[in-house]
Amino acid sequence: MAVTTTALAVLAGGLLGPALLTAVAVVVPAVVGRILGRLLRTALLLTLPIAVSVLLVNLFFFPAGREILFQVGPIAATAEGLGFALETLARIGAISGAITLFYLTTPPSELVLDLERRGVSPRIAFVTLASVQTVPALVERAATITAAQRARGLDTEGSLWRRLHGVLPLAGPVLLGSITEVEERTMAFEARGFTRPGRRTLLWWPSDSGPQRLARWLLVLAVPLLVSARAVGWLGWLG
Amino acid sequence: MLALESVTYRYAGAPRPSLHDVSLELGEGEVVGLVGASEAGKTTLCLIASGLAPRTVGGTLTGRVLLDGEDTAPLAMDELAGRVGIAFASPTTQLSGVAATVYEEVGFGPMNLGVARPELIARIEEALAALRIEPLADRDPAQLSGGQQQLVAIAGLLALHPAHLVLDEPTAQLDPAGTAMVAEALAGLAAGGASILVAEQKTDLLAGICSRVVALDGGRVVLDGIAAEILADPRLTKLGVAPPAAVRLRRAVADANLPAAALARLEHALAAPR
Amino acid sequence: MDSARWTRIAIGVLVGAVVGIGLSATGQVWPLSAAAGVIVADVVYAGLSLAQTGEWGPMRVAAGLVAFAIATYIGIGFGDFNNPDAVDPNTFANTKAANSWALILTVSMVIGAVVTYGLELVQTGRLASLSRQFGTRTYLLMAVGIGVNVILGQAVASALKIPIYLDSIGTILVGVLCGPVAGALTGGLGNILWSYVIPPPFQYQPAAAFAIVAVAIGVIAGLLGGAGFLRPRPNRPTAELLAGGAVTVVLVGVMAWAASQAYTRIFETSIDLFPDPAKVDAIFVLLGYLAVALVALAVLGLFALLLVRRDLTAAYVVVAGVFTGIVAALISAPIAAGVFGGVTASGTDFLVLAFRQAGADVYAATTGQGLISDPIDKVTTFFTVYLILSALANRFKARFPQGEQVLEEPSA
Repeated sequence: MAVTTTALAVLAGGLLGPALLTAVAVVVPAVVGRILGRLLRTALLLTLPIAVSVLLVNLFFFPAGREILFQVGPIAATAEGLGFALETLARIGAISGAITLFYLTTPPSELVLDLERRGVSPRIAFVTLASVQTVPALVERAATITAAQRARGLDTEGSLWRRLHGVLPLAGPVLLGSITEVEERTMAFEARGFTRPGRRTLLWWPSDSGPQRLARWLLVLAVPLLVSARAVGWLGWLG
Repeated sequence: MLALESVTYRYAGAPRPSLHDVSLELGEGEVVGLVGASEAGKTTLCLIASGLAPRTVGGTLTGRVLLDGEDTAPLAMDELAGRVGIAFASPTTQLSGVAATVYEEVGFGPMNLGVARPELIARIEEALAALRIEPLADRDPAQLSGGQQQLVAIAGLLALHPAHLVLDEPTAQLDPAGTAMVAEALAGLAAGGASILVAEQKTDLLAGICSRVVALDGGRVVLDGIAAEILADPRLTKLGVAPPAAVRLRRAVADANLPAAALARLEHALAAPR
Repeated sequence: MDSARWTRIAIGVLVGAVVGIGLSATGQVWPLSAAAGVIVADVVYAGLSLAQTGEWGPMRVAAGLVAFAIATYIGIGFGDFNNPDAVDPNTFANTKAANSWALILTVSMVIGAVVTYGLELVQTGRLASLSRQFGTRTYLLMAVGIGVNVILGQAVASALKIPIYLDSIGTILVGVLCGPVAGALTGGLGNILWSYVIPPPFQYQPAAAFAIVAVAIGVIAGLLGGAGFLRPRPNRPTAELLAGGAVTVVLVGVMAWAASQAYTRIFETSIDLFPDPAKVDAIFVLLGYLAVALVALAVLGLFALLLVRRDLTAAYVVVAGVFTGIVAALISAPIAAGVFGGVTASGTDFLVLAFRQAGADVYAATTGQGLISDPIDKVTTFFTVYLILSALANRFKARFPQGEQVLEEPSA
């Protein structure tokens, strides 16, 4: 939960501009959790496509750019563009870092069970867990069908057109199969008491500690503080 | 005691009823086998016995379904879940899909029913022990074999502490190894005094555990009696049901006109307990 | 659908059109007049339904819609949208407006939902239409829907650099089969999970910002599905098919024109169909035309369905898709501009570039891009959902809350 709050705080914080501040909120817990290396690698991997796009678009196509840095044919790179790009990148980096930190430290099941313990409906909790589960399950099913089709001689390499042609017969069984399964699964679920209203017993839930709670409250309080400070104009020096 | 009294059932939008005037009783500690051809109504009967029909699958039911003399019509599905458990043929679609371990998967039912935590743990461990799958407790249910998954599903049902178990062709989608696993588990449950209604095409399996067998044809009960008698009934083949191997062997032997001594030895061997 | 209902719809549309055109003739901003027209049309239809059949359902929805519109209007007044000082002189992007936009819409939607279901609660003492949407089947379908959204959306966003999203198939499927709130929940929860909980490589971090768009799509899909838009209508006589085709073309044309009017009036730019090649890079013009060609192809493909299967529903699919697409574009554009500077690392970026190149600011560029991508995307999505529905057994569909509305009407 502490990490979710970090993500939220960073989101609000990042949009206000003080990306440096929020980078601290991400890096420090990462060091404490000894996952800084993994964090950096995963976050970089995730943000690379966005970063490249942002950089290129704003460097070359910034409408208010005047100071030209260099030229590539008819397109010119501007300093204002670079500045804006860096600002956006810092913001994106902070958000991405927080999200990655969250993902690396919190398995979905822990998050969902914690939420359920605090009062979220078990049915919503179920949908969350099941959705997360569905993604790898569908991919695996597609892989199985592809393997079976390959064994029957279907061409899976080759030109884009041929591969597209090979993907389409896949869509049917995978997609339709998982939808039609809903009927059988509904029966199994209802036979196991899924429709009973109210809360259910939990086998286990993640533990909470004093320091975690303190960190959470600090982060939550920081959000409105930052917002008001920004509104009043105190943080102008952060740009 | 689970009883169906003159039940006629029609699926929503179906032109004809799937079950006609069916009456059936499942007493405490009884193991009843259900046989019949593919569309004879075995699955429908199982759905009605467990309460899923008409609640979850819709349709119209006339007649009564009684649990210990009480009419189940006003009861909701979640109330029935703890009283009658049902398992299906497909091992994968019965898994909840949200349990990381077999332990949690088995607990899914009682968790939904709001059973208190100490009792919940006791029930899970009891169910795992009853089916002898304690070694699987920490495994990911999605990674198990079909037979193992079916055992986990049945354990999940046991954890509900139902008075009766209904199994709809539990070995239909399993390989021989899986079938043997489930057959052994069912034999263990039967020996332990559970009340089971099991629909199966594999009459050998039924011969080993059932005290009674009911045969369905076209949505009606055509045979109902002691297992050994019904399974040896010559009308079974006409109903689309393959009799157990022992019965077929006995008939083949009878047709082969063997000398009396050889016949006597064969009879002795067939009559010996497995 | 019986002729009485058609009559009510026609009267509603007529009155709405009159109001809309009248308002704009008196100088109101176009999007305002168009929105007012749509709302008046819905209120008139609902009122007539109530008077003729005593059904309160459409009236409650109309009331919710009015509440939503009023709340949004008031909210926009607070949000500094037209405040020139709030505009960043460098990017012409109004970050504060973008941030408040999602907030305003969320609050307005909640208000609208509260009015709709509150009315029902007050009148009948129960929330039947809300609880009906949610059953075990709904939750299971939602899980599959979210999974499909994520997989397809991620595949399109990262692998195929084409200007569509395909991340709403699940949302619309759940909306049509289960109802507006179920669809909204699928979209909203799905986007949030996509950003924060789904692990890479399927994680798409920008998704959460667009959760409100997904919610809107789910609501629209639910309402349209409940109205029977995706009911198969095969083997219709040629005259009916031609009429359907004509109405579709007219409706799509009107919506497209209204959207372009909104675009030009809000941003005070003009859409140059044949820009001077000396000023703009030819490649972007080419890409722009390619995008338009995609639209045409999609629409033609659907008319083909019309002809081959003589299925009138193809027309409904197109109208539903274009309408949903325009709404989605208008909601998502400010978010894309304000939060991400128009760049979301998907295939739509080049379209945004094209508009920026032509001199538009970030705000206008994302709106322009959206108005091209979203209708194509939503028409394709509705078409896909229709295909999926046609492959499912009637017995299966019938058990869903709104399942009856996607089954063929029994021949009279």
